[in-house]
Amino acid sequence: MANKKYDLIIIGGGPAAIAAGIYAARAKINTLIIAKTFGGQMTRKTVSIENYPGFKSISGADLVKKFVEHLQEYNVKIVSDSTGVIKKIGKTFSVKTAHEGWFDAMAVIVASGADPRPLEVPGEKEFIGRGVSYCTACDAPIFADKAVAVIGGGNSGFEAALALTKYAKKIYILEYAAEVKAEESNINLAQKSKKIKIMTSVEVKKILGDKFVSSVEYQNRRTGQAAALDVQGVFVEIGSIPATGFVKDLVDFNERDEIIIDSRTCATKTAGLFAAGDVTDVQYKQIGIAAGEGVKALFSVANYLRK
Amino acid sequence: MPKVKVFSTPTCPYCVTLKEFLKKNNIEFEDVNVAEDAAAREEMIEKSQQMGVPVVEIDGQIVIGFDKEKISQLLGIKK
Repeated sequence: MANKKYDLIIIGGGPAAIAAGIYAARAKINTLIIAKTFGGQMTRKTVSIENYPGFKSISGADLVKKFVEHLQEYNVKIVSDSTGVIKKIGKTFSVKTAHEGWFDAMAVIVASGADPRPLEVPGEKEFIGRGVSYCTACDAPIFADKAVAVIGGGNSGFEAALALTKYAKKIYILEYAAEVKAEESNINLAQKSKKIKIMTSVEVKKILGDKFVSSVEYQNRRTGQAAALDVQGVFVEIGSIPATGFVKDLVDFNERDEIIIDSRTCATKTAGLFAAGDVTDVQYKQIGIAAGEGVKALFSVANYLRK
Repeated sequence: MPKVKVFSTPTCPYCVTLKEFLKKNNIEFEDVNVAEDAAAREEMIEKSQQMGVPVVEIDGQIVIGFDKEKISQLLGIKK
């Protein structure tokens, strides 16, 4: 049986993918969106979004809901699945999904965003869901009256720590560098909180526990001394990695594993294959920028399909 | 009707998605907020042997996360 064929397949469920989907529907481009879930990194935000035009303050979950409602106003086919691989045979792209089979299209927009960057220390994988979390917004309340470590002294680390003050009894922010790098206001709030302790020059070595996490081993990079903290939770907030496993051979990557695009058009090195948002080497990662990049990619797709 | 219990937190987007999915398919469920209910929190950790939300209990069977396929299978929801 032949694969179901579309003009365009959009891979991803964040702002870039949704914006491209809305424009595609309005341009009457026969489009399929393949997304595991909708919202991307917005769903993991621990604090309200206050810089997206039209919304003075809105939670990530609520903004996602509005994006998805808008998309669903249009006749865009959506498949909830993860993407296995993309192939190009002649002028046609074939996209394999994990459970729903193959789909074909004349053009593809990769807008799969980024996943939380893992720490890559012993114990991390073993204790995912048993103390180790990448979603503070989801799991913070479970750690009521417990001691926790937030790994990463960037802005998302500080946001996570501040969100945790509602629940946890003690929060250690562990930063690898000699200084933290977060918004001044967040640093001030954290310094004022009696629950938060900021520790710099800390290299986390190991996450330990039995059934659940019980401690974190680290080394002080100034003194070289090894020590441990008794914590029941470890929230990893050290940035993100682009989700590009399925597209390896068709694009070039920069040193951060981001897809290299033509910044004017969102084109990749493969004709008909475009990329938008946090998965690309676009300089800034913002919801507004991702949405705009999705729109840009869609206009390039429309041009490409007309040829 | 199967007995369905959802352990969730109000701040967890996947919990919202899960509950919307159940509602859309006319599945009645008990919604437990583990952010406020400490006993339910312990029950969830004990039953699921882990500390992430959402957790859904379907006739005594535990599903961790919004595992749409498994939940659909246990509840007989067709695509």
